[in-house]
Amino acid sequence: MKGAAEERAAWMLATPALLGMAVFILLPFAAAVALSLTDARLGSPLPLHLVGPVHYLRLLTDPGFLRALANTAGFAAAAVPLQTGLALALALAVNRETRASALARTLFFLPVVFPLSLVSVLWTLLYAPSGPVARVLATLTLGVWQPGDVLHDPWLALPAVLVTSVWQGAGFQMVILLAGLQSIPDDLYEAAALDGAGAWRRFRSITLPMLRGRLVVVAIVTSILSFRLFDQVRIMTRGGPDGATATVVWEAVRAAFDQAQLARGSAMSILLVVAVLAITLAVGRLRGEEA
Amino acid sequence: MRSRCRQTELQRTIAGVVVAALAGTGCGAGAEQTALEVWAHAGQESERRVLREQVSRFDALHPRLRVRLTFLPEGSYTGQVQAAAIAGDLPDLLELDGPFVADVAWQGDLLPLDGRLDPGLLDDLLPSVVTQGTWAGHLWAVGAFDSGLAIWARRSALVEAGIRIPQGPDDAWTGDELDAALDALARTDPDGAVLDLKLNYRDEWFTYGFAPLLTSAGGGLLDPGPPPHAGGVLDAAPSVAALQRVQGWIAAGRIDPNLDDLAFVSGRVALSWVGHWEAPRYRRAWGDDLVLVPLPDLGRGSRTGEGSWVWAIAADGRQTDDVIALLQFLLSPDQVRATVAANGAVPARRSAIRPSDPWAPGGRLHLYLAQLEGGFAVPRPRTPAYAAVTGAFAEAFLAIRDGADVRRALTRAAAAIDRDVADNQGYPVTDAMRRRWEAER
Repeated sequence: MKGAAEERAAWMLATPALLGMAVFILLPFAAAVALSLTDARLGSPLPLHLVGPVHYLRLLTDPGFLRALANTAGFAAAAVPLQTGLALALALAVNRETRASALARTLFFLPVVFPLSLVSVLWTLLYAPSGPVARVLATLTLGVWQPGDVLHDPWLALPAVLVTSVWQGAGFQMVILLAGLQSIPDDLYEAAALDGAGAWRRFRSITLPMLRGRLVVVAIVTSILSFRLFDQVRIMTRGGPDGATATVVWEAVRAAFDQAQLARGSAMSILLVVAVLAITLAVGRLRGEEA
Repeated sequence: MRSRCRQTELQRTIAGVVVAALAGTGCGAGAEQTALEVWAHAGQESERRVLREQVSRFDALHPRLRVRLTFLPEGSYTGQVQAAAIAGDLPDLLELDGPFVADVAWQGDLLPLDGRLDPGLLDDLLPSVVTQGTWAGHLWAVGAFDSGLAIWARRSALVEAGIRIPQGPDDAWTGDELDAALDALARTDPDGAVLDLKLNYRDEWFTYGFAPLLTSAGGGLLDPGPPPHAGGVLDAAPSVAALQRVQGWIAAGRIDPNLDDLAFVSGRVALSWVGHWEAPRYRRAWGDDLVLVPLPDLGRGSRTGEGSWVWAIAADGRQTDDVIALLQFLLSPDQVRATVAANGAVPARRSAIRPSDPWAPGGRLHLYLAQLEGGFAVPRPRTPAYAAVTGAFAEAFLAIRDGADVRRALTRAAAAIDRDVADNQGYPVTDAMRRRWEAER
């Protein structure tokens, strides 16, 4: 009896959230699936036709889209370890109760508060051909680095966007990992120190295992955000040079809004959802097996 | 949007009740006035200021009307108009980027202007302005100005290198002559890069700036049809040859990448292939040493670009006469002069040009006017498929710039355009559309 009442209360409490998810996530998703199987064009006065999986078949043989897919996957593959690693390093660095580390935490977290558009404009200026980044690199490499237009370089443009993204995002992951670090009991470290474990050994055998759950969360969140890469591309490179920084979301927005190809854009976003879902499930399963 | 209180929209908002109460008080205050909603792209500060001044002058002349002017950022302007069109929220009078007029008209969102404007005004307009605004047999949009595209050169550099200076659009350099001129200039240039193609610009520039070259060679972007098709035009031999020539210049190092946009003003190059908007800056840098020469003639005569921002009227407006009055005011010779004084473009009306103006015969910008009046300017394809056309062409141009095989890049672009056209059943103008437009006339 009590269980049923509790269950009813649980449903009641969850209803607003579920309703929100249904209206703002499930419904648009279902609409995108439906649209991707039609010949929908933004603003078209013609009647809608069902065309089947034509757009999917075209996309999977379109070199431009496949390049965007590869760019996105490559970006995520690089961003996840880099950003998680940097966040962990930052968290370890500021995991002390001193005034300096409180200041450092604030500074490291600051980029998270900035809007992505602002960050992108800022870094576009930093990357200018004779801008600060070029000059610092030239000085550090004793002139081996020739100042050039990083954002128009087919090999450097995507890494440049990556640096911006990691810089902007790492502060948030740092906070999650910092909370994890502070929940590890000190006596574990003390006991390990008594047993003669060095700093590296303590990090590997205590810190990492105790943080694993949070690291996985951070990795999943980072990979999902990486797959959504758009703002920086839109502002910094517009997909260029010659598709070197085109991502799936960039292509989808370009198709659906710049070229009014709503069905094609919908199909792109569905493919992206499928890819992200597959990766999340795979990581989740990996995590389940480990536990 | 057209009534003073905008009740239907308010009901749609989440805080409808609160806002409606607030708006209700606002409505009461100006009850005797009718609002006209106007959207324009947020250009340079000087352009915005002039438009604001024009609107208040119109308001002063028409106490019964009140114009509400909204500026939208240029980068996302076309997308915002599209979104508003779908939501049925278009303003009464709106600015459109010339080549996108056909798309908005095809969607049924514009009012045909045939027979609504003063015949004297229509006769006075540059032919290029009427051409750009016409699609499917109707006039949809009219601008206060048109654009000019040509090559700015330093006269002294041309004279020194022994290069002939063309006297008008029918006296343009041939392709081979331009090749030879680039080589001659490069012989005394420290880095050999002597021509600026504004490769630092983006997207629409490539279609605007280089499609005329394809036409001059006997190719082009699109056969207007119906149905419109790019295969056999964009990927045909003349188009391929035209862009192979451009790719040849880039490969030979004759083109300055112009990352800092200072290639011409700093003197790194002697030639700059660009629109009218650079005229003031270039004049400050080089003064009377400047000379304006037409784009090269690749066989069918020199061809150049045209088209710019134009005014159109939303289809479902209820105060058409008032909106027409506003449009005619913005197109009156004095207002046209004020507009071009702010943006440096070519006035759309012949009567707005005075003999002392730079566009007038003998003036330093006369080439722009001569090209627009003499049929040397080609409009970008007037078709609802334009978004697909320009997207595919810009992508191909960037690939060609980076060394891709020209024929393959253009074939791929043509296929993408034709696929978009096929997906939309050839962008048909149906009988229902024609009937509606006739009824609206």
